[in-house]
Amino acid sequence: MKASYNWLKEFVDFNLPHRELAHTLTMAGFEVEAIEEVEDDIIFDIGVTPNRPDCLSIIGIAREISAVLDLPLKDVNAEIRKQEGGGPLIEIKAPDLCLRYSSRTITGVKPGPSPEWLVIRLEAHDIRSTSNIVDITNYVLLETGQPLHAFDLDRLAGNKIVVNRAGNENEFHTLDNEKRTLNKDTLLIWDDEKPVAIAGVMGGLNSEVSESTRNILLESAFFNPVSVRRTSKFINLKTESSYRFERGVDMIGVKSALDRAACMIADIAGGKVSHITDIYPDPYTPRKLCVKYKKINSVIGIDIDESFVENVLTGLGFKIKREGDGIVVTPPSFRQDIQRDVDIIEEVVRLYGYDRIPSTLPAVQMISAPVHKTQEAIKSIKNAMVKSGFSEAINYSFLNPEIMDKLNIPPEDRRRKTVFIKNPLRKEEEAMRTTLIPALLNNVSLNLNRGAKTLRLFEVSRVFLPSGQKLPDEVIQMCAIYHKDMSASIWDDKHDGFYDLKGVLENLFSELGIRDYSFIQEATSCEPYLHPGKSCAITVNGEKTGSLGTLHPSVSTAFDISGNINILELYDIEKIQKAVSPTPEFVSLPRYPYVERDLAIVVSKDITVGQAKETITGIDSDIIEAVSLFDIYTGKPVPDNKKSLAFSIRYRASDRTLTDSEVDVLHSGILRRLEENLKAELRT
Amino acid sequence: MLNEILSIKNLAGEEIKKACNLKDIQDIRIKYLGKKGVLTGRMKSLGSISKEDRPEYGRTLNESKNFIEDLLNRQEEQFRSTELNQSIQTQRIDVTVPGCFVPFGHLHPVTQTLDEITAIFISLGFNVEEGPEIELDFYNFEALNMPRDHPARDMQDTFYINDDVVLRTHTSPVQVRVMEKNIPPLRVIAPGKVYRCDADVSHIPMFHQLEGFMVDKDIRMTDLKGMLELFVHSVFGIDTSLRFRPSFFPFTEPSAEIDISCVICKGTGCNVCKGTGWIEILGAGMINPRVLEMSGYDPDLYTGFAFGLGIERVAMLKYGIDDIRLFPENDKRFLEQF
Repeated sequence: MKASYNWLKEFVDFNLPHRELAHTLTMAGFEVEAIEEVEDDIIFDIGVTPNRPDCLSIIGIAREISAVLDLPLKDVNAEIRKQEGGGPLIEIKAPDLCLRYSSRTITGVKPGPSPEWLVIRLEAHDIRSTSNIVDITNYVLLETGQPLHAFDLDRLAGNKIVVNRAGNENEFHTLDNEKRTLNKDTLLIWDDEKPVAIAGVMGGLNSEVSESTRNILLESAFFNPVSVRRTSKFINLKTESSYRFERGVDMIGVKSALDRAACMIADIAGGKVSHITDIYPDPYTPRKLCVKYKKINSVIGIDIDESFVENVLTGLGFKIKREGDGIVVTPPSFRQDIQRDVDIIEEVVRLYGYDRIPSTLPAVQMISAPVHKTQEAIKSIKNAMVKSGFSEAINYSFLNPEIMDKLNIPPEDRRRKTVFIKNPLRKEEEAMRTTLIPALLNNVSLNLNRGAKTLRLFEVSRVFLPSGQKLPDEVIQMCAIYHKDMSASIWDDKHDGFYDLKGVLENLFSELGIRDYSFIQEATSCEPYLHPGKSCAITVNGEKTGSLGTLHPSVSTAFDISGNINILELYDIEKIQKAVSPTPEFVSLPRYPYVERDLAIVVSKDITVGQAKETITGIDSDIIEAVSLFDIYTGKPVPDNKKSLAFSIRYRASDRTLTDSEVDVLHSGILRRLEENLKAELRT
Repeated sequence: MLNEILSIKNLAGEEIKKACNLKDIQDIRIKYLGKKGVLTGRMKSLGSISKEDRPEYGRTLNESKNFIEDLLNRQEEQFRSTELNQSIQTQRIDVTVPGCFVPFGHLHPVTQTLDEITAIFISLGFNVEEGPEIELDFYNFEALNMPRDHPARDMQDTFYINDDVVLRTHTSPVQVRVMEKNIPPLRVIAPGKVYRCDADVSHIPMFHQLEGFMVDKDIRMTDLKGMLELFVHSVFGIDTSLRFRPSFFPFTEPSAEIDISCVICKGTGCNVCKGTGWIEILGAGMINPRVLEMSGYDPDLYTGFAFGLGIERVAMLKYGIDDIRLFPENDKRFLEQF
């Protein structure tokens, strides 16, 4: 809402420079967002909150100033000196949507340009001047907050007004020369034959005031706020009128605004003002609210002087009567936001000044604050990832569903069943994501394009999966992506990033105290966007909880990224959190020394390290403490279709020192087992 | 016989003196004390010595052996330390070669800011609660005193899934969900993602908020002021001033907006505060009794306050970030600065 300093001064005789006035308004809840200096005047741009339609007017803002500064408020001059002829014919056929309709005709007007002062004032308030009659309706709208409309009386069939719903009428030509589609509940203003305006939103081209207009009908009404809001949304047209009507205009002010405009028109454009027709079947009944002084003080926290309370409320137009240990307050008709005692308390403290209230800290009863386990697990995961060199990304939750094709996601996959947004900002952001992968791949692409080489990124966020209920399942996932720079580096680090990422996960599980996990490789890829030969599923306590693998080359191409890219995904952090061991259990340190023996074998290339290790640990013995792989070798002298695996096996008994011969027997037993089960040969 | 031993001893002594390195010492040790060594041979033949001569002969033999051994050890130690010193002299690494490590990663600045704020409130006894990001219109609006067709809904540009489901526009619905299931006293914070259908130089369609609220007997507006003052001072420092202005939120009454003195220019006026010296940072108020009623609380018995703040905004002020659009971009060069 724009408001002119000079115009405000017409109603309150304040003596404040404009910056101080702006500060006063801001601190009273009317934030001055901008101050514009124009010729001979200063224009404030004031943020008026939706609960205060009364302050979408100069008089409303002036009233606030008068209350804060404790100065008298002057009234709008709306006295019609002479009324001639009967009021127009008005009929309300939709009394639920039009609660009051006041009207006068003015005959013998002379349309023409407005006086300069009027043009300047309107333009300072962002309204373009058209002609004196329309300008005056706009002027009164700004001044009083009451929207008005002037019809060309001679273009109204039957010289009458009917207020009724659109019914079967489904199109209307508004005066901005647009065809508007209506629905049956749109409230229209009709004459005897046809609609002439969309009530509260905009008039029609067919009854517009023009240069040739001689007689006008002036409308001032109270339309149902919800109805105007729905209409404005439905036809997608927001006007100065609709903005005020949907917030609620002053039921009582309807008449005085009409009179004010009629006076001004008669003064400026000439003509004779008729008597009023005021259809107002159910007059406004004021509300009475009881407020106890004790309540005011207990909500705010300090004792505010009773006389201050009464003075401030009176200044804002409230009527007050003392009753017992409180007051009975009657708010004015333009304050529909005042519904209960706290609303009055707010008025008191607002004008008292929030800055004058002291600060205290609440005295409270102690309560136990339970640890939020999921949040704790997320924190541990994030910290472990950061320690492993991964930086955290936070991406939009939006998804372009077309990207599912790029990820090779099959048609029946759950992740294709996305939740759609009805009004997305962009087509590419029309769904809620069901996977964290595409956003991270885009992050990789963006960073590579900007010259980054090695990239370690992860994200912990929710995905939105179909649930069959009103709200989808929101599942917290973790996804990490590692783009390894394979170019020359001083330190030897030439292995596939897969193993780095696998190590990161193993470290993470160790940090969380998750011990029962495994990596399962199957004939087909566990995820369609992973390389079938270089990926595996991750299981925790036997349940599939994630995937790890190299990005499928076709997906790399689709996202236009290249290089060694590996992805780690955990599908459900809450589920993983349940596998977290709460407190580690102490195990006594060994008291006897260990014996370590190496074992190098040659096996067929398709035997995995895992198989070999399982074969070793599968032997019936309780003295194998650890088996660690320390070399994989292919090439001469190992035959082409074979590889050599070298393990170091650590033996230890908990109750004695092992003898060489005891270890020898077991060690050669292990070799025999490898020979029998895996056709292994001892490497010599 | 004894003389013979003594001359062996002297001879060994001479040889040890002349030894040049560890190898010589080793050789001398073998020559005299080894299995077939000169002195060892004499020891073995002790049995053939007459009974009366044997004690003296044996003693002399032992003394000589100890003498030689001691001398050998000392000389050996000498050579070892010389050799070590020499080899240390030649061993030098280039300490300017870069270290071998995987550099630590970085938490997103939003997470760091959120963690810091969360920790402050946890230390004051607040619980952390969460709610869905895709939320029922009921919790996001209606239960917060914003019925359908209420103009206050225009304050938040909303993404709609359907008529009953929205992307939550604020974290306030968590307030309703928590109040529905619990009885006071309540001290809760609810951090999380929120969505607004708005994107330009200073708005992103998804950002983070933290909602905090407290419901108990005798919670007053002065308590809200004190609590937020404490919070702002913890995050931005004790010198930061606060300004409470009246405002409007349908779910609080009275409502306030809180400005802090500009952390960039210290209140003298700059681009960030648009010359005003103040930056809006929080929305807050006393929980509207109607909201308490809708959750089944008696507003004559309980009062409460609630506040909400935008995390990106706090992070921007804290780190001096000048463009909100950097947050969702995840440029490594951005992330690695925090």
